[in-house]
Amino acid sequence: MTPMKWFYSFLKEYRPRIILGLFMVAVMAGAALISPAVSGQIADEVLQGGDYGALPRLIAVLIAATVIRAALRFAVPYNFEICSQGVLYKMRDAVFEKLLQEDFEFYNQNRTGDLMSRQTGDMDAIRNFVASNIYAVFENILYFVFALVMVFTVNVKLAWLMICILPFTAVTTLLQMKAVKPAFHKIRRQFSSINTYVQENISGNRVVKAFAKEDFEIEKFERENDDYRDSELACAAIWEKYIPVFEFFANILTVVLMLYGGILAIRGQISVGDMVTVNGYLWMLNSPLRMAGWYINDIQRFVTSVEKIYTTFSIQPRIKSPKNAVRMEHMRGEVEFRNVSFHTRDADVLEDVSFHVEPGQTVGILGPTGSGKSTMMNLLFRFYDAKKGEVLIDGVNVKKLNLQDLRDNIGIAMQDVFLFSDTIEGNIAYGRPDCSFEDVKRAAIAADANHFIKETPDGYDTIVGERGVGLSGGQKQRISLARALTKNPPILVLDDTTSAVDMETETYIQDQLKKLEGSHTIFVIAYRISSIKDADLILVMQDGRIAERGTHEELVKKGGYYARVFEHQYGKEALENGQK
Amino acid sequence: MARNKYDVDEVMEEKFDVHQLLRFAKYVLPYKKRMILAGVLMLSSSALTMLIPRFFMNVLDDCVPEKDVAGIVKYSILTLLIILYSVLTLKTKIRITNEVGQNVIHKLRTDIFTHLQELPFSYYDNRPHGKIQVRVVNYVNNLSNLLSNGLINTITDLCSLVFIIIFMLTIDWRLTLICMCGLPVLGIFVALIKKKQHRAWQIQSNKQSNLNAYIAESINGVRVTQAFVREERNLEIFNRLSDSYRTSWMHAVRYNFMIGPAVDLISVATTAFLYVIMVNWLVNGEGGASVGVMVAFTGYISRFWSPITTLANFYNSLLTAISYLERIFETIDEPVAVKDKEGAGEMPPIKGKVTFDHVCFSYEDGVRILNDVSFTAQPGQSFAIVGPTGAGKSTIVNLLSRFYNVDSGRVLVDDIDISDVTLHSLRTQMGVMMQDSFIFSGTIMDNIRYGNRTATDEEVVRAAKTVCAHDFIMEMEHGYQTQVNERGSRLSVGQRQLISFARALLADPKILILDEATSSIDTETEIALQKGLNELLKGRTSFIIAHRLSTIQNCDTILYVDKGGIRERGSHQELLAKKGLYYDLYMSQYSFLND
Repeated sequence: MTPMKWFYSFLKEYRPRIILGLFMVAVMAGAALISPAVSGQIADEVLQGGDYGALPRLIAVLIAATVIRAALRFAVPYNFEICSQGVLYKMRDAVFEKLLQEDFEFYNQNRTGDLMSRQTGDMDAIRNFVASNIYAVFENILYFVFALVMVFTVNVKLAWLMICILPFTAVTTLLQMKAVKPAFHKIRRQFSSINTYVQENISGNRVVKAFAKEDFEIEKFERENDDYRDSELACAAIWEKYIPVFEFFANILTVVLMLYGGILAIRGQISVGDMVTVNGYLWMLNSPLRMAGWYINDIQRFVTSVEKIYTTFSIQPRIKSPKNAVRMEHMRGEVEFRNVSFHTRDADVLEDVSFHVEPGQTVGILGPTGSGKSTMMNLLFRFYDAKKGEVLIDGVNVKKLNLQDLRDNIGIAMQDVFLFSDTIEGNIAYGRPDCSFEDVKRAAIAADANHFIKETPDGYDTIVGERGVGLSGGQKQRISLARALTKNPPILVLDDTTSAVDMETETYIQDQLKKLEGSHTIFVIAYRISSIKDADLILVMQDGRIAERGTHEELVKKGGYYARVFEHQYGKEALENGQK
Repeated sequence: MARNKYDVDEVMEEKFDVHQLLRFAKYVLPYKKRMILAGVLMLSSSALTMLIPRFFMNVLDDCVPEKDVAGIVKYSILTLLIILYSVLTLKTKIRITNEVGQNVIHKLRTDIFTHLQELPFSYYDNRPHGKIQVRVVNYVNNLSNLLSNGLINTITDLCSLVFIIIFMLTIDWRLTLICMCGLPVLGIFVALIKKKQHRAWQIQSNKQSNLNAYIAESINGVRVTQAFVREERNLEIFNRLSDSYRTSWMHAVRYNFMIGPAVDLISVATTAFLYVIMVNWLVNGEGGASVGVMVAFTGYISRFWSPITTLANFYNSLLTAISYLERIFETIDEPVAVKDKEGAGEMPPIKGKVTFDHVCFSYEDGVRILNDVSFTAQPGQSFAIVGPTGAGKSTIVNLLSRFYNVDSGRVLVDDIDISDVTLHSLRTQMGVMMQDSFIFSGTIMDNIRYGNRTATDEEVVRAAKTVCAHDFIMEMEHGYQTQVNERGSRLSVGQRQLISFARALLADPKILILDEATSSIDTETEIALQKGLNELLKGRTSFIIAHRLSTIQNCDTILYVDKGGIRERGSHQELLAKKGLYYDLYMSQYSFLND
């Protein structure tokens, strides 16, 4: 599909409305021609000719024509505005839906500000095209053709001479189109860039302040701001070159009429009256030619934006629900990794990872930063796909499962807590928007969040800032945990969920989680031994491989990485006791 | 103030304030000379263009009957010259309007951005970031239309309107007055819908802001959305926002479309009235105007109304723009809560003594976070702050960096009240590593260098080595030149913490604050890090907030904070011996061993 075809698929629905609109434009143009003609008649026949009796009739015609024109001057733009807003609504919907489906690789490669520009600034050029360019161009063509026909009826030679201007205008049009296109692309890129920059500056405002880097940021912003302005000015420099050329060709028609028409009149091949008539039509010929340059700008801007949006839109997510997917609404929670390897530049690697978890078991995962712990969970969720080997849930390869079902059956509290700027209740109920307040509260109690939530001024209705700003790390983690618990999934993944809470809170949370044992398969990724020591199976990850596996007691006795971590956290004495 | 979220409209002034426009005019003022030049050029060109119909009449009336080819050629050449002149002025006009327009926008954007840098955390915390962004980027862009097409055309149109009225007055003042009596009617109509029109555009700008906020958040939180299978629901919310954007747009644009037809109708009414008067004069033989005068006069009626139509269009874009201008100026006017005192001096090179002197603080009225906190840290000492989450630990270090002002009491560094010195001189000497380790999109090298722009590559690498980040960085495909993005999704939280650790280190601060800086770092790295850290802490006063007590056992003083106050203080050994709150906390780590 080409970008234009894609665009047209949205416009198609409005075809009847557009045709209706164009018809109204034609009527409007006709009405616009009537008024000056009637005014002329009043001057000639009534005022000069003394036919006073004709006045009421002529005034009635004048008013009728103006009322029609006025009504259409409202109806026409309104009609096209409806089309353009309709197209944009559908287009935004389509792009947004696509964004929600895109996989992690896409998001690793595209910056937030860029993606936002697709949905805002780029859409605006499309709005302008549908809402006004379509009919304005049509109106001008209408005038031009009409006037040309009229000139032909007056004098063929004169008409041909005027047509001679057209190729020049056409060539200029083509040249301008070609010249202005890269300039518009540059503007769009620069727009994205400044958008991205501002977006990051706002997100990173705490770091900026902590390092007192305001001046540096302003300096960087100035560069972006300069570049954006310069790209706009570079584009303007192109119009500056072409628009006057259009103006020149448009006005040259007057000279043609004066010189050639005058000579024809002297030769008696054309009457003075004919020249006056043609002169009356001249504005209809030259104003379309004059406007051509501006319309080309708008159209080229529009084309650029459609191309930009479509480029983003057309990237297909690699991870999606397979055709004839296996539906599985309620999973038991049996998880198996069978010789799974994963290599990408976007995440940590995995090498030949195999393990098997029975439903209801708890698995603890420990290992250095970047050893592949989160990657393993990302494969389970199908945020990425394993390159080699299989990830199975209840004996079915996750790639064969319906994606919604898969993710619906796994709950996660992520390491990198993201909260939405919504109420605390809204955040906890994120995965189950229709659940009752009791459910939310129960989850909050289990995550030991109820206490501090109740202490906030508005309780569960307190709005937390984007990314949960205003909450401490531990508070965010607990809300995130409550969010995962509300979903009540058969498989629960807790990725470093209690790193920022104190020991007492952690102990409490663990007691709560123990209630889920047996009915839920739980993965706990942690750095603290205390978080995982009761797990049925502990996996120690190193460099993408499972280096050690077993229970707490077994691993302590083994004297490997796990035992070293244990010793560091609890001292030699505890280790020696454990190894006895 | 309650926090704002994506589907809540921001409050707005209902009043239409001309002040905003005057303020905006100030941005254009520096370019007045060039604007005047453009205006004069345009007027001269339109005055000259008015000669063309005269030439045409001369050709028809004189040259053709007299078969004067030379005369025709003469007039044609004159016309051509006028055309060339007007083409050149057009070129100049395009250049000037664009330059002025883009520069004004540039300045406005700089002003709003510069001001944003001074606004406190609370400003950013209280509203979705997409709503701040839309002001800097989209709203400002929306003004370009007003500037590039509106301003000069309006001036020239106003001039030609005045010319035409003078012209008409010289022909017949009574007819002119009749013609002009349509203007008050138009004025009344415009005034009648103004309030609604203004309001409609304000609402529209709000809906745009909401939509933008939701898009921004959706992109940033897409992992959560996918993990919680919320796509459908979010699409519904998005469509709801998108639909109110559309509805508000259609509503607002309706008022704009009303003005053109209103001009049409009023003009035709006055014109008809004019004809009736004229005919009346002719029939009754009074009034004194000749038929010739009347015919000439009718020729000017349409010229009178055409600039008014253009002015009406300008008025429309003005009303649209003002709703954006209000938002932009509102941001620029947002008071800066934490700022340099007048005449604030530079903080001298910090030795490192830190004193909290009876400090009280609350984020919101009535909810006291810190209550009468006092302590003194001597230069080079390390202080640990422990306690339950939400006890006020982060607040203490935030006050030390003066991210907030204290309600009462004083925070002193080297016995100087930090509110007496410039923020810049204070903060550049402090290194803060926060819970949220934000990564900018760019290379890892740039991210670390953020702490000190003048650092060499070697210094960056050394900092990374000290915090044990070097190894994992080198394992990435381009090492330090690897591109990371702002969501930092390529890096684990622990890796991000190490990078921001290196960043803080590179700033070579005299006071170092580590707020949960190592919570997601694995034990082995932490052991290695500890060695580097001990080296690092030498000669610096440091404040460490941590839940893992192994990190802080060696600190000189441990403050146990709870319920807004310091409950216990002393060294690790002292506090253990005391068998109080810290002891309980410490022992809770080992509780499971005794199970």
